[in-house]
Amino acid sequence: MAGGREIVKKIGSVQNTQKVTSAMQMVAASKMRRTQDRMEEARPYARRIRNVIGHLANASAEYRHRYMVSRDVKNIGYIVISTDKGQCGGLNSNMFRTLIQDIRAWERKDVPASLALVGNKAAGFFRSVGGNVVAAINNVGENPEVESLIGGIRRMLDLFEEESIDRLDLVSNQFVNSMTHRPQIEQLLPLDPDPEDSYKHMWDYLYEPDAEELIEGLVQRFLESQVYEAVVENTACEQAARMIAMKNATDNAEEMIEELTLLYNNARQASITQEIAEIVGGAAALE
Amino acid sequence: MSNGTIVQVIGAVIDVEFEREQVPNVFDALKVVETGLTLEVQQQLGDGVVRTIALGSSEGLSRGLEVVNTEAPISIPVGEETLGRIMDVLGNAIDEKGPINARETKPIHREPPTYEDQKGGNELLETGIKVIDLMCPFARGGKVGLFGGAGVGKTVTMLELIRNIAIEHSGLSVFAGVGERTREGNDFYYEMMEAGVLDKISLVFGQMNEPPGNRLRVALSGLTLAEQFRDEGRDVLLFVDNIYRYTLAGVEVSALLGRMPSAVGYQPNLAEDMGILQERITTTKTGSITSVQAIYVPADDLTDPSPATTFAHLDSTVTLSRAITDLGIYPAVDPLDSTSRQLDPNVVGQDHYSVAREAQEVLQRYQELKDIIAILGMDELSEEDKALVYRARKMQQFFSQSMFVAEQFTGQPGQYVSREDTVRSFRAILDGDADDLPEQAFYMVGTIEDAREKAKTLVDEAA
Repeated sequence: MAGGREIVKKIGSVQNTQKVTSAMQMVAASKMRRTQDRMEEARPYARRIRNVIGHLANASAEYRHRYMVSRDVKNIGYIVISTDKGQCGGLNSNMFRTLIQDIRAWERKDVPASLALVGNKAAGFFRSVGGNVVAAINNVGENPEVESLIGGIRRMLDLFEEESIDRLDLVSNQFVNSMTHRPQIEQLLPLDPDPEDSYKHMWDYLYEPDAEELIEGLVQRFLESQVYEAVVENTACEQAARMIAMKNATDNAEEMIEELTLLYNNARQASITQEIAEIVGGAAALE
Repeated sequence: MSNGTIVQVIGAVIDVEFEREQVPNVFDALKVVETGLTLEVQQQLGDGVVRTIALGSSEGLSRGLEVVNTEAPISIPVGEETLGRIMDVLGNAIDEKGPINARETKPIHREPPTYEDQKGGNELLETGIKVIDLMCPFARGGKVGLFGGAGVGKTVTMLELIRNIAIEHSGLSVFAGVGERTREGNDFYYEMMEAGVLDKISLVFGQMNEPPGNRLRVALSGLTLAEQFRDEGRDVLLFVDNIYRYTLAGVEVSALLGRMPSAVGYQPNLAEDMGILQERITTTKTGSITSVQAIYVPADDLTDPSPATTFAHLDSTVTLSRAITDLGIYPAVDPLDSTSRQLDPNVVGQDHYSVAREAQEVLQRYQELKDIIAILGMDELSEEDKALVYRARKMQQFFSQSMFVAEQFTGQPGQYVSREDTVRSFRAILDGDADDLPEQAFYMVGTIEDAREKAKTLVDEAA
């Protein structure tokens, strides 16, 4: 049996870990509220602009913008939203797994993937597994700014325009509720005509100054808002996932401490018993 | 011949009084005339009284019985006539095939070979058991200890080693059953008979039902047989199951002789007792003794004085661990706790050496990560660490192997894996060539090719 002192040391180190994880759990819980609020605030605008784009895609019959034209997919681009920090359970790895499956599926059709990565974890992951990374945005922080995202989005748009990619997908975590997060892959470009019926009836838009310029600007806003929303949503997921992961970690540590304490008590009692037996034996031998 | 009389009987300890001028020497064998019981002198108490231990049951003894001094230590028949026979500690046949008519008898006590007679060897002895060949390779003429707590599979592993080495090996073997179960001795006898190697093996048994004197001396009897073959210039395999019982018998005798117990209740002369036995198990210039000794570890505590004193005498230590038995992996050899003096690039070759060391590193790292995994979960590990953990787990499974002697338990035929295959297979796992295979594919298979094969059948079954 391991010496008592060693076990005590180990219990101490697990206790320290537990302190850290339980503190992280509480921090994450308080941050979760704020990030959820921010997510709620970002949603109306994103939903609105999605509506407008949906209308446009269905409406303008006389003019099809190049963002709306579906091409044969020869190359695919992904914007991947991950967290900056770890300790949030399977949030990132589940998403990466979904993404990798998707990439594999395309690869089987001889379609290579280009990646724009948001968040340090995605950068770290693709550095070790490999992949064609064309843009990486690190340290978006807990309070993401649209400005910091624009560069990466622009890069993907440029690639789309010069036909280096024929389709752009957004990979992120969807916030279902604070216990459930679902990795999802959404198509951004070419603009998908929204299948909802409400857009189906005829809309007649008048463009001022002209359709091309307007749609151009609108699409850019649309992409920015979608990516921004995804980032904000992912932050909310991150805090919620971290809270859960840290709660589990704290519980696991508790369990481990209990087991170790039991082991320690056993070892201590064994050594006491042995000492008594030896003293008694020795005394008896002297009599 | 001088005669004495019994003056005191306390269990297995018997005091005998002789004429003052005819006090027997220590280690002389005495014989009780009426019952034929042999006694061995341990101490001279003075006034012509000697304290002896009984090598046999002391029932029916009484004060005043006549005792004859044979004026020699216990001697047993040695040489070729003992092959295929079973004897007890005194050299009496116990296989009901009549007495052993050996030309020569030898006393069981003798000095170990001198420094100049001893010879080291580094020629490897392949066992066909992956984890042993990789982590703690045996040397011909070396001493191997098989450490393990209760029920981790020492005897089964030992029998597998006997099967793989003794049956493949052309030389002679001696098996000493020290204080273990009689049933195992019986199984072993018939196993050897079936394998047709009984005429190359001598067996000595002093099992757990026998008095402490028998169990204490039976290891020496077995050793004396092995020494004889060695001194005739042959290569001998000596199997001892179990050295701990030798120590335990020593404790009993020591207590009966009234010595004060030392640490953990062991005899005060534990190190000496162990040295007397172990120092004689050596390879000399005339011949070699390759010994495999099972060593019981009380309460799974390797720091217990008995296994601890044995450690220093061995070239290779194979440690069987309960944590690994709990995973269902047999043979439950702990790859981090088992070592060998032969694990040296100059002996096993650079390839083997680096594979073994790398495997140990990976397993060690996995051990360290276990706490993190237990608290934070696999997801928090970096990609490199994850890959490492998966490889470590695969290796752990791959250390398992179905054994020939355990066929009746596992229902799977045994496997003999050559050292080359072992090294090559582990190299493949370490290099990540087997990352695509599921963990279960590595359980109870021989080589990496078998694992691939098994992975295929697993996929087919799932489909």
